[in-house]
Amino acid sequence: MQVWTKLFAKSPFKPLIKHADVVLQTVETLEKALRLWYEGNFEEMERVAIEVDRLEDVADRIKEEIRDSLSSKLLMAVAREDVLVYLHMQDKVADAAEDTAKWLLIKRPNEIPADIKDIILQMGTESIKAAKLVHEAIVQMDRVIESGFTEKEIEREYEIIREIESVESKIDGLDTRLMQLVFEKENELSWGDGFYILNIARTLSNISDKAKDSAERIRLMMNK
Amino acid sequence: MISVDPWLLITIVLGFAMAWAIGANDAANSMSTAVGAKAITPKQAVIIAGILEFTGAYFFGKSVTETIRKGILYPDKITDPTVLIYGSIAALLAATIWLVAATKFGLPVSTTHSIIGGIAGYGIAYAGLGIVNWDKMAQVVLSWILSPVIGALMAYFIFKALTKSIFESGNPVRSARIWSPFWIGMAFVVIGAMFYIKVLHGSDLKTGVIFYGIPLGIIVFILSYFLIKVRFPSSDPYIGVESIFKKVQVVTSAYVALAHGANDVANAIGPVAAVYAVATMGLAGMQVPVPRWILVLGGVGIAVGVATYGYRVMETVGKKITELTNTRGFTIDFSAATVVLVASWLGMPISTTHTVVGAVIGIGLARGVKAINKNIVRDIIISWFVTVPIAAVVSAIIFKVLMVVG
Repeated sequence: MQVWTKLFAKSPFKPLIKHADVVLQTVETLEKALRLWYEGNFEEMERVAIEVDRLEDVADRIKEEIRDSLSSKLLMAVAREDVLVYLHMQDKVADAAEDTAKWLLIKRPNEIPADIKDIILQMGTESIKAAKLVHEAIVQMDRVIESGFTEKEIEREYEIIREIESVESKIDGLDTRLMQLVFEKENELSWGDGFYILNIARTLSNISDKAKDSAERIRLMMNK
Repeated sequence: MISVDPWLLITIVLGFAMAWAIGANDAANSMSTAVGAKAITPKQAVIIAGILEFTGAYFFGKSVTETIRKGILYPDKITDPTVLIYGSIAALLAATIWLVAATKFGLPVSTTHSIIGGIAGYGIAYAGLGIVNWDKMAQVVLSWILSPVIGALMAYFIFKALTKSIFESGNPVRSARIWSPFWIGMAFVVIGAMFYIKVLHGSDLKTGVIFYGIPLGIIVFILSYFLIKVRFPSSDPYIGVESIFKKVQVVTSAYVALAHGANDVANAIGPVAAVYAVATMGLAGMQVPVPRWILVLGGVGIAVGVATYGYRVMETVGKKITELTNTRGFTIDFSAATVVLVASWLGMPISTTHTVVGAVIGIGLARGVKAINKNIVRDIIISWFVTVPIAAVVSAIIFKVLMVVG
């Protein structure tokens, strides 16, 4: 009786982790681009920024695949809607990284004050932390299910979620600081450079925002 | 026996064929969780299932046999002994045909349903609807619906209790040392109690539990406690617990095979026993004990079925199910076997397959299985409802043909 082989469907969690792998790679590549941008190596930076775009495409494709395989015919440990919305949020993390890459590619800036550049690079580094934590959170979610939703594993998951939230608020602080700086130095910057910097900052802080949204969805998966 | 009745020979052959079909696809279910969770290889599963299905059939397979033979039809309405002979042949043949066909299409059907359908079919063809004991039939149908539900409930609570007792504590390794033997011991309490009821023909469940089940459970608890104390498999509690239960699953799947043999052997040998009664006593509906050699026939048939065809089924299962951990496999086995054995003590012919499926769903509901295919569950439920009518119709047709030809 082959019923046994058909009864157990493929769990979406391994593919979700695979998707998180690519999202993390996208954000890591963006940080590399920011570093090159910081050093003023624009040739190389452009090459790396285009790679960010490519990785985001890969993430999109994995997302489509997971969506197609998650039919409503499954009885899962977590609600299908939660998984789908989570996937959407996780994918947005890569989208946000791609947005930043787009702004980096749009123009070559004139001289930008060092303190502004410092903050932007810091924001990039923190964003990677957020993406890494999202990856950790989905791996932990797999473990939560594996353990049959035991308190201990759930507690560990909440720790990761709290870490994501704290990274997000840290980036928020950097973002605010950067905005203030741009307006303090409005006389030194052209409007174009100001606009450019503010948008890079906005898209960067978006990465951790989306990471936080993803964390929120994981919280929902655990509460039943 | 002075001379062997040719019809008896035919029935024996068919009974053996039916037992083979049971071994071929049903026995695979009893072992599939263990194979799926990689606790045993398909080859080991075949050996364990073969031996234990036989043991279960031979030692435990008595009262259920009686129920199927006597319960579904009013035997006093069959006055002509040849009717009983042709009918039993028709029922066996119909059930075997349906089982083989269903296995070909990959439909999960129950051998118990098939044979009951077959018996009801020839009964109705012979004497109309009045011959069927509808109260019994309703009870049987109810037990098919109840068995997955009870299996699901049991598995749900056992899974919750097991994860709570082992993984939720501050020190999982330490609690695994105490609680794993406890759960293993529990499984043996049930085995011991059933041994008393089935083999020693005790009638009081309490006596069985107190004097047989609990002592055996305690012995096994102490044994496994010291075995685990001496050598805990791993520093990671999860890996450690899983590897303990990997070994336990070998025992529990053996327990399922035993329960399955006890319960389902009746499907094949009930009709054979009926024909034997006619051949030796010349009277239909006489209360005769089922002779030992008929039980042997059923047991051997099942074992051969496991070895020849069941092996292939289990190989497929072993390759495909990776979503099942050993603790879950243990829970499914433990719940299913307990439900089946209790049902067989109550004389209710229930389906192992459905109890196991129920247990799988129960663990799914406890959020212990990552993904279950609802469509397949729906197919299973549909198969419960079509098996009886189909087997009945086929059996009725065969019976009519036999009456004309014979």
